[in-house]
Amino acid sequence: MSTQFDKILPLLVNSDVEFILIGGVAGNIHGSARLTFDVDIVYHRNKANLERLVAFLHPLNPYLRGAPPGLPFKLDLPTLHNGLNFTLTTTLGDLDLLGEVAGGGGYWDLMDYTIEVEAFGVKFKCVDLPTLIKLKRAAGRPKDLESIAELEALLEEGDK
Amino acid sequence: MKKQRYRDPVIEVYMKDVDRTLLRENLKLTPAQRLEKLVNFSSFAAELRVAGARARRAKKS
Repeated sequence: MSTQFDKILPLLVNSDVEFILIGGVAGNIHGSARLTFDVDIVYHRNKANLERLVAFLHPLNPYLRGAPPGLPFKLDLPTLHNGLNFTLTTTLGDLDLLGEVAGGGGYWDLMDYTIEVEAFGVKFKCVDLPTLIKLKRAAGRPKDLESIAELEALLEEGDK
Repeated sequence: MKKQRYRDPVIEVYMKDVDRTLLRENLKLTPAQRLEKLVNFSSFAAELRVAGARARRAKKS
């Protein structure tokens, strides 16, 4: 199943979840031509937002991506509180919840480096292009090299 | 004067292969239109995956 970006993002916003979009979809917003398969968000870790995240996720049957079926996994408030980063599969597709991200920190650390995007009838925060490049560099994954090169090229094209 | 950004020499090598024509087309769109394009392409890719799986099964049988 492909991730339903047009459903996940409005549902997050309409569930009042405080989040910042990062990763490949953020790259697409900045003009990347690469296809991405999941939604990556950095979420605010206060109790009220964790509760909203639980309410948002509950109908989507979240499960740990790549884990064998049948594990006693329940994404409730204690699970979110005791964990930090979760790679999930849901009925709307793959979703990564990040309490903190390498090179960027948490929700409030990134807040000054966001832009507001309006799409699918809602508004949400998305990390800006220079910070997205910084996050990709900090992740240090060889698979991101081409992606970083493309984002750097977008930065150059935008400066023209 | 514009400040020169530091760029990793490895990234510089990869940048030579970036197809900037695709990026320039995307930059003509609004962020919302870019996301619509992702949604459409994602559905298209999913359909191709299903068709590929069907074709492989048909070949086996």
